[in-house]
Amino acid sequence: MFKQEMILRNTLRRLGFDSDDVLPEGGFGAVLARAGVGKTAFLVQLALYGLLKEKKVVHVSLNDPVDKVNVWYTELFHRIASDEETTDGTAFLESLLPNRFIMSFRIEGFSLPKLKERLDDLSQQGIFFPSLIIVDGLHFAESRKADIYGLKDFAVKNRMQVWFAVQTHRDEDRKASLFPVYFAPFADLFDIVFELRSEHADVEITVLKGGKSERESLLLDPTTMLIRDRL
Amino acid sequence: MQETIKTVRNIGISAHIDSGKTTLTERILFYTKRIHAIHDVKGKDGVGATMDSMDLERERGITIASAATFCRWQDHEINIIDTPGHVDFTIEVERSLRVLDGAILVLCSVAGVQSQSITVDQQMKRYNVPCIAFVNKCDRNGANPQKVVSQLRSKLGHNAVAMQIPIGLEADFRGVVDLISMKALYFDGVNGEIVRYEEIPAEIKETAQKKREELIDAASLFSDELTEAILEEKEPSEDMIIKAVRKGTLMRKMTPVLIGSAYKNKAVQPLLDAVIRYLPAPDEVQNFALDLDHEEAPVALIPDPAGPIVALAFKLEEGPYGQLTYIRVYQGTLEKGATIINTRTGKKNKVGRVVRMHADQMEDIDAIGAGFIGALFGIECSSGDTFVSPGINLTMTSMYVPKPVISLAIFPKDNKAQTNMSKALNRFTKEDPTFRTHVDEETGETIIEGMGELHLEIYIERMKREYNAEVETGKPRVAYRETITQRGEFNYTHKKQTGGAGQYGRVAGYIEPTTSGEDFVFDNQIKGGLIPTNFIPAVEKGFRSSLAKGPKMEFPVTGVKVVINDGAYHPVDSSEMAFQAAARGAFREGYLKAKPVIQEPIMKVVVETPAEFQGAVMGLFNQRRGMIVGAQEEEIMTVVEALVPLSEMFGFSTVLRSATQGKAQFTMEFSLYRQVPQSIAEALADEYARKKKNEI
Repeated sequence: MFKQEMILRNTLRRLGFDSDDVLPEGGFGAVLARAGVGKTAFLVQLALYGLLKEKKVVHVSLNDPVDKVNVWYTELFHRIASDEETTDGTAFLESLLPNRFIMSFRIEGFSLPKLKERLDDLSQQGIFFPSLIIVDGLHFAESRKADIYGLKDFAVKNRMQVWFAVQTHRDEDRKASLFPVYFAPFADLFDIVFELRSEHADVEITVLKGGKSERESLLLDPTTMLIRDRL
Repeated sequence: MQETIKTVRNIGISAHIDSGKTTLTERILFYTKRIHAIHDVKGKDGVGATMDSMDLERERGITIASAATFCRWQDHEINIIDTPGHVDFTIEVERSLRVLDGAILVLCSVAGVQSQSITVDQQMKRYNVPCIAFVNKCDRNGANPQKVVSQLRSKLGHNAVAMQIPIGLEADFRGVVDLISMKALYFDGVNGEIVRYEEIPAEIKETAQKKREELIDAASLFSDELTEAILEEKEPSEDMIIKAVRKGTLMRKMTPVLIGSAYKNKAVQPLLDAVIRYLPAPDEVQNFALDLDHEEAPVALIPDPAGPIVALAFKLEEGPYGQLTYIRVYQGTLEKGATIINTRTGKKNKVGRVVRMHADQMEDIDAIGAGFIGALFGIECSSGDTFVSPGINLTMTSMYVPKPVISLAIFPKDNKAQTNMSKALNRFTKEDPTFRTHVDEETGETIIEGMGELHLEIYIERMKREYNAEVETGKPRVAYRETITQRGEFNYTHKKQTGGAGQYGRVAGYIEPTTSGEDFVFDNQIKGGLIPTNFIPAVEKGFRSSLAKGPKMEFPVTGVKVVINDGAYHPVDSSEMAFQAAARGAFREGYLKAKPVIQEPIMKVVVETPAEFQGAVMGLFNQRRGMIVGAQEEEIMTVVEALVPLSEMFGFSTVLRSATQGKAQFTMEFSLYRQVPQSIAEALADEYARKKKNEI
């Protein structure tokens, strides 16, 4: 019951997708934002909704240690669940966490072969077969081309959905495309691209690519870091 | 007190077994004139060779391995603090490490970085202890200090920088070249006590120049002054280089490497110079206490001798004059006659005799200043207690003491062992609040309890080693517990009429799970004197006594709230005893309706392993019902964190060793209690049924 309630609260449905499973198998999704706006919070919520739908999630962080990523999950879960006071949220979260695996790499030490090796470690021993991967902190640059294209092949082959956080910068030239220059060469790989923009006191979520044209716009509430409707 | 805090070094010497820690400590004490003759660990008469270093110390009646040995070098006071030989994560290890400000990591020039060096290094890293490395045994066949420097970089991830190069190696090892002063150092005299400075031999001059450039290059990262000198192509001064290396070392971003042979009395004195040059004085290390008046918020301590006293009793030793308490003062001055308060007990103590420990003697002193280490007589305390000036309420260690999660029955092998075992247990429980002991009322067995299998194993080993108490052990038992998952009503009448005065009491209400994690909550909602007020404590006592052994499988019950809202009494037959019995009956009745479950302790297990064994480690967790939280790559090591039931962790150290070629280490601490899976609950129920049948 509690689980159903939480799934129904997935506000992303209102962004004009047919179901709340917004990415196809083998699909790439990205959330673009400047530093500190809420990319990690956004992705962790996607991961939590994935966990609720019994997906196995690997969260790859190139910024934060395992403990810090874990805190994101705990905090955001309790915030989402806070309306259901009578339910034991902690126990419910504990039942979800065996389906989540956090991998933390130093950014300079990260490579696709290394990630594949780690995922193989898990799958070959029958420990974990992820269907959703969150990649937080990867720099999109020409030098990463092989890794990113390789990851796309890997995702398609293994029918995994992959979400990326992409950091943008102030005063970027967007005249030629909707996307920042360094991201544009990879844009074709992506089925969905969101952008988080800080507007006055709110963070607005806009869809740069994917979904339907008629849709409501959503906000990321900066006080709770939760995705919510525009009031 | 003639020393200032700047001239104090509190250091530890950490080493792999057989890399020469005992010999090195011996030489340090000799050169600092603490002892007057050198005895070899492996003496010619063969006596030493058959003894381990601990026995040798005992034989000679000195305390090389005492908690803190004081010596003096070049107007500096060096306290060598005994670092525990074991590597598990117990309160005792934590305490010893926090007393250190810096460390010497001793490595063998033949064997290089071994698995235990990795373990020791990880400990230092965890506690952020700056260190210098000493590559010992350069006189041995196969000695290769350069290889060890490379291994320090590749295996331990240190920014290791050679401060010296050898003059000759193996049997030809004659001395060292100091790359800062660019002098050759030879060690003359019977015991190498005379240091002779010479020009660098021509054949190694070029190598020395190259290595010096490497050293200056590495040091320049920590000094703008040095960088400028390099850019301006000026010859940097010795002082400039030393300052830069010191800065890098204190930041733990550089590890100066010295070389020598303690056994051959070569190059120990430059190591002592390096301790003073590169390791921190107590005021260069930031220490924190916890403020008990503000929910254990950390408070930075200022090593000011005039401030209020904050001191930590880090080790107790039984001596002929009673208990000797080793203490480190972090703030203020601990003077003879001063009044101090033990934060844990709240008891006031007057400081009596204050001493400073030498290798084989003690010296009476008047006071111990901030940053210094000394010992007190006549202070009743446990290891880890904090002493403060009246008016402040700080503690150096958290007051939270976790409940033991594992127990073990121990049986002394003979009468002598029985007496020694009691002495040992008495001492250990004082030293370590997470280690407990009691006698089982039913079986009469002595039970020891602690935080993990290794934790208990260490104490059993120490009983044997330090107290000569040989004990046999039973099978480790996990501290399972019972709790309820829903509300259960009760309405129980205890009525007995067996001639004479009867017994009568009725108790009604409900039990339900507690909401904030309390072990037990009792809520009396009786109105109108349905149960007279004077019987309510008896009712509560009856419920409380039911918690010791749960009705389901006789495990302790926790997390229960009892609400009583109805009842009845008899003017003649009701008594405290009758209401206690009624409460026990009511508890049983409500408990079975409240869907009881068995919970087991879940441990947070963190394995640090070279990356190539990460998959193997994850496999081990998976086989043990573990939930892997994540894996974190840190330089050459990967840290895998998991939550694993304690019952699955028995023998894990052996399994981990074989799965990782001994290159991984793990720490384990209690995390939470969680309901056991159905299959385990059934197995426990079967075991319980068998036990009950045997009892009948």
